[in-house]
Amino acid sequence: MKKNFHKNKKKIGYIIIILSSLIMFTPFITATLNSLKTYAQYTAVPVEWIPDPFRWENYADVWQMTDFALYGWNSLIVTVMSVLGAILSCSMVAYAFARLEFPFKNMLFFMVLGTLMIPPVVMIIPQFIIFRYLGFLDTLVPLWILEWLAQPFGVFLMRQAFLGIPKAYEEAATLDGCTPFQTYWRVFLPMCKPQLATLTIFTFMTKWNEIMAPVIYLSSSEKYTLPIGVLQMSGAWFGKEQYLVAAAIMSLIPVLIVFLLTEKFFIKGASSSGLK
Amino acid sequence: MLVNTETIKTRRKTKKKGPALSHEGKWGLLMVTPYLLHFIIFILFTLLASLYFSFSSYDMLNPPEWVGLENYNKLIQDPVFWQSLKNTIYFTVLFVPTQTILALILAVALNQSLKGLKLFRIAHFIPVISSWTVVLYVADAIFNPRFGLANDLLVKIGLQPQQWLNDEQQVIPVLVAVAVWKGVGYMMVIYLAGLQNVPEDLYESAEIEGAGVLKKFRHVTIPLISGTTFLVLVLSTITTFQAFEQVYVMTGNGGDIASAGGPDNASMVLMLYLFQQGFSFLKMGYASAIAWVLFLILFVITMIQVKLQKKWVHYEK
Repeated sequence: MKKNFHKNKKKIGYIIIILSSLIMFTPFITATLNSLKTYAQYTAVPVEWIPDPFRWENYADVWQMTDFALYGWNSLIVTVMSVLGAILSCSMVAYAFARLEFPFKNMLFFMVLGTLMIPPVVMIIPQFIIFRYLGFLDTLVPLWILEWLAQPFGVFLMRQAFLGIPKAYEEAATLDGCTPFQTYWRVFLPMCKPQLATLTIFTFMTKWNEIMAPVIYLSSSEKYTLPIGVLQMSGAWFGKEQYLVAAAIMSLIPVLIVFLLTEKFFIKGASSSGLK
Repeated sequence: MLVNTETIKTRRKTKKKGPALSHEGKWGLLMVTPYLLHFIIFILFTLLASLYFSFSSYDMLNPPEWVGLENYNKLIQDPVFWQSLKNTIYFTVLFVPTQTILALILAVALNQSLKGLKLFRIAHFIPVISSWTVVLYVADAIFNPRFGLANDLLVKIGLQPQQWLNDEQQVIPVLVAVAVWKGVGYMMVIYLAGLQNVPEDLYESAEIEGAGVLKKFRHVTIPLISGTTFLVLVLSTITTFQAFEQVYVMTGNGGDIASAGGPDNASMVLMLYLFQQGFSFLKMGYASAIAWVLFLILFVITMIQVKLQKKWVHYEK
């Protein structure tokens, strides 16, 4: 009887998950097919599923006739700078919180916790004014600079990682004459590669997809990152909207590749964000 | 809990040490400098500045001018503010429970050794890793009023085609449906992590007592992951109340912020209204007042959630 019960549970599980996966996939498949159609076929009623002919040149056209490559380049700069900043600043701050004794340590750490409670909405306007004062408007700097100042999520993630390393490593390094910074940089940091990978991928995804900050800070189109660049293309492609779908799908491809290659780390990051 | 034991340990350690700043202490302070800067400039200063702005008239061209409660008075009489507050609450009330329940069901279904598990997980994560711009065009394949799949289906089964995002009544439910579709995979993973902590023997003893799938779900799973549920509810309420990108992208015309929130303010949410007032009309004082009202509302809601948690969140021991 128990076996039967387990079989049933599995069956129900399969039905739910397959159904839900279909709901997840169908819009993507439909959109991808749409991106390969002519405008006439794209807007055809009733819907024609399969493109006829497959217009692969839609993608080539987007690449050649729009600033897609430029937007992609901007996105890449923002993403790389953010990832570098997050890795360096979060791990360094986290190391101090995890392994060093210094004045006001606990107070400071609770401030990190408190930071998480404050909704970002109240800080947006003064932030804008600070960056305006610094002359960063219409540059990519405001899109990545804050990542160099240790964002709480990364600090928590890395602190957990450092806490799990035995004290003996620290003592050995100190005996060898390492300063705390050298111990962190040479001994501890290389031991936390999985967490660094999680932080990298998480930061990459967030920054690649970010919309709010570019909307606030960028005004000239040659500075646009992909999400807003593609969004603003719609003016130029009126009556050729299948190109917009192709551009959107193209902007997804880099994240999709990174995600498929590093799925394990990403899932870990997502689950740890709930276990704070 | 981890945090607490940590602090006790460190407290003991600091007591032993003298008051002078040690070698280690200097390094410690040096290494937390990025966070100190972050806190002082981008938290403390911005909070105070934004509070000050909310009592000022500020257009960014002239220095802020103190006007007392004027912004807040105007806010109370602003019909669009009330409309956007109503819309925000409607959005949140529709979105948060739907996403939470679906995420839980999916996590329970996935939390067993199924074939193709990884593929299923990936399927639910592709919307999570997509930007809202991608989601806009993907959702358009379904909800385009002229040639979308949804209307195609409705017409085929003999129903009237709908206007979806262009309809005042439908715009928020459609936005919620799309947001759930995009976000449910993420919450599912958080639930999966919570489910891994439920001891298997509890299910076994429930089975011995003759509990079926639903009974086990109701009496074992739900109480034991109520902590995760609480966290998911608090987190998603806070983020949903500040929803901006989705409404801006899905309802705005090609990234035009002034055109977003339609039709006729039917999808105007607080964050979008704040943006329009602040960054389109340069009413930074007024926008700051909206921000603080939003903050206060969120604070009250979170406090209520924390108070209520004692009634339904199950803690071990």
